Amino acid sequence: MSDAKKVMTIDEKLDLTKITTDHNYEHITINPAICKAKCTTHDCVYGCPADCYKFTEGEDAEGPVSYDSVACLECGVCRVVCPHGSVDWHNPKGGFGVEFKHS
Amino acid sequence: MSEEYDFDVAIVGAGPAGCAAALVLAQAGIEVVVLERGQYPGAKNVSGAAIYGPVLNNLVPNYWEDKESFERHLTTKKITMMSEARSMTIDVDLRDFNQTPYNGITVLRPKFDRWLSEKAEAAGAMILPDTMVEDFVWKDKQIVGVKSGEEELRAKLVIIAEGTNRILTEKAKLAKHPHAHHYAVAMKETYELPKKQIEERFHVTGTEGISNEILGHSRGIPGGGFFYTNENTLSFGLILNAKSLAEKKLKATEVFEDFKNHSYIRKLLKDAKMIEYSAHMIPKGGFKNLSKLYGNGVIVVGDAAGMALNAGLYMEGMNFALESGRIAGEAAKKILESNNYTKKSTKIYKNELKKSFAYQDLKTFKRAAKFLENERIFAHYPELINGLFYRLLKNNGKPREKITRAAIKHIITRTKILKAIKDVIGGLTSL
Ligand SMILES: Cc1cc2nc3c(=O)[nH]c(=O)nc-3n(C[C@H](O)[C@H](O)[C@H](O)COP(=O)(O)OP(=O)(O)OC[C@H]3O[C@@H](n4cnc5c(N)ncnc54)[C@H](O)[C@@H]3O)c2cc1C
Ligand code: SF4
Ligand code: SF4
Repeated sequence: MSDAKKVMTIDEKLDLTKITTDHNYEHITINPAICKAKCTTHDCVYGCPADCYKFTEGEDAEGPVSYDSVACLECGVCRVVCPHGSVDWHNPKGGFGVEFKHS
Repeated sequence: MSEEYDFDVAIVGAGPAGCAAALVLAQAGIEVVVLERGQYPGAKNVSGAAIYGPVLNNLVPNYWEDKESFERHLTTKKITMMSEARSMTIDVDLRDFNQTPYNGITVLRPKFDRWLSEKAEAAGAMILPDTMVEDFVWKDKQIVGVKSGEEELRAKLVIIAEGTNRILTEKAKLAKHPHAHHYAVAMKETYELPKKQIEERFHVTGTEGISNEILGHSRGIPGGGFFYTNENTLSFGLILNAKSLAEKKLKATEVFEDFKNHSYIRKLLKDAKMIEYSAHMIPKGGFKNLSKLYGNGVIVVGDAAGMALNAGLYMEGMNFALESGRIAGEAAKKILESNNYTKKSTKIYKNELKKSFAYQDLKTFKRAAKFLENERIFAHYPELINGLFYRLLKNNGKPREKITRAAIKHIITRTKILKAIKDVIGGLTSL
């Protein structure tokens, strides 16, 4: 890459990180009812370094944000910044999840 | 060993804290197991990263003879203040740091953690990767082992070295649910750049290397950037105060991309190829975020205990992790000798830790975490100082101002003086 100004999308960056998804176990879940009833700040969307949390669109959405674990880097930020205890956070099972090689 | 127990000591987590404790115990012939949820030690871990050589040397004498142990030793320290279109760098050349055990070294965690765990293994410790500890085995009010899936492993003493996500420390009732303002989100990118280009660009030879801390241009979010040279890679990242992002409605990932696009950063990373993106949470540390350090049958070390300092220009945790792990190992020997695992006995660890630099430093810097919540330090002052230099250096055809007069005028027009004095005093007393 040259020094030309370029913004990388988070998906392009995450392609470089090895992650083994556990299809039998969601290590993080959120409670959309809590998000809907209580949240005005949506800290998870702003804090997550892998953009796993996104604002939902449309009337029929269960809550204001949706969560997708595929690219989770297991940093723990969402557990800590959520002000309403909506994030149920666990480590992935042994051997699953992110596998850093150069960090 | 008594039949009730599978091991003398079970350690949760093969980061620097867990590995240090395991090494000390294995060297004393104690039966110790380390359970690590990652595919290998280091697979889940992220750091900048610089370690103090003397701290590592204390644990592994003459570590530098082992080429696997580190990337480069630090001989240049740069501190940069960036504003929108400008930057100013203080460049300190420390060639006297060329002597072993080296003042500072850079490491990459997947390699470093594996190296240190292999030292512990060679001394007789058992390392179990792919193993996530979910809970403890309790006997009355005492922890007597760990659980992973269906399996139970019994140990006389458990050392929690789980890192910044204190899931088990909370389960052991030694810490409460975390507060966002005690934490920062850290994003990192690793780049490949041929050794020769690293040497030319940063004026280093052999294993010499540089570190660069970078303040400003993070859209007013308190935090700071870091940059380190490795053997043939570059480590670059940004640390941001977790709580401020939502307050300003800014996404961490966007602030990072913006930061990276500053011309100063682009020059550092020119022609280098990104090979990995990672992220982790850092305890801002200080005294207030310390967990309870001991309980019945259990002690806590490293980030899990909150033993870290993240103060913009200081970012330390591995040093504390290595040191608290080593001390925990020494203390565990005494606890085993006493054959008493209640709080009364495990308190030995805290007593020993209190004498060490790790505990003392946290005390000394206890106000630093607070100081770093001050947005003026991160947004206003880098702007101010770059503006001042612009004013001094710009030739507009008129006679130039005297430096002191220009400085005073520049600062007075842009700062509330009382606040600035308060910040300076705050800064000096906290750092
Ligand atoms: C971007 C960044 C830059 C940094 N830069 C520096 C620096 O330059 N210098 C410095 O000194 N510090 C730095 N730090 C801080 C440093 O990384 C930490 O303080 C240090 O890693 C703490 O070590 P630890 O052994 O306590 O925890 P960790 O290194 O986090 O190790 C914990 C281990 O426990 C394992 N684990 C967790 N839970 C379980 C479980 N339930 N079962 C089994 N295993 C488990 C994890 O997989 C991990 O291997 C930086 C941190 C970040 C994020
Ligand atoms: S997970 Fe927490 S922070 Fe995110 S929207 Fe729900 S309540 Fe808000
Ligand atoms: S743990 Fe980190 S990466 Fe994973 S969803 Fe939460 S904030 Fe995002």
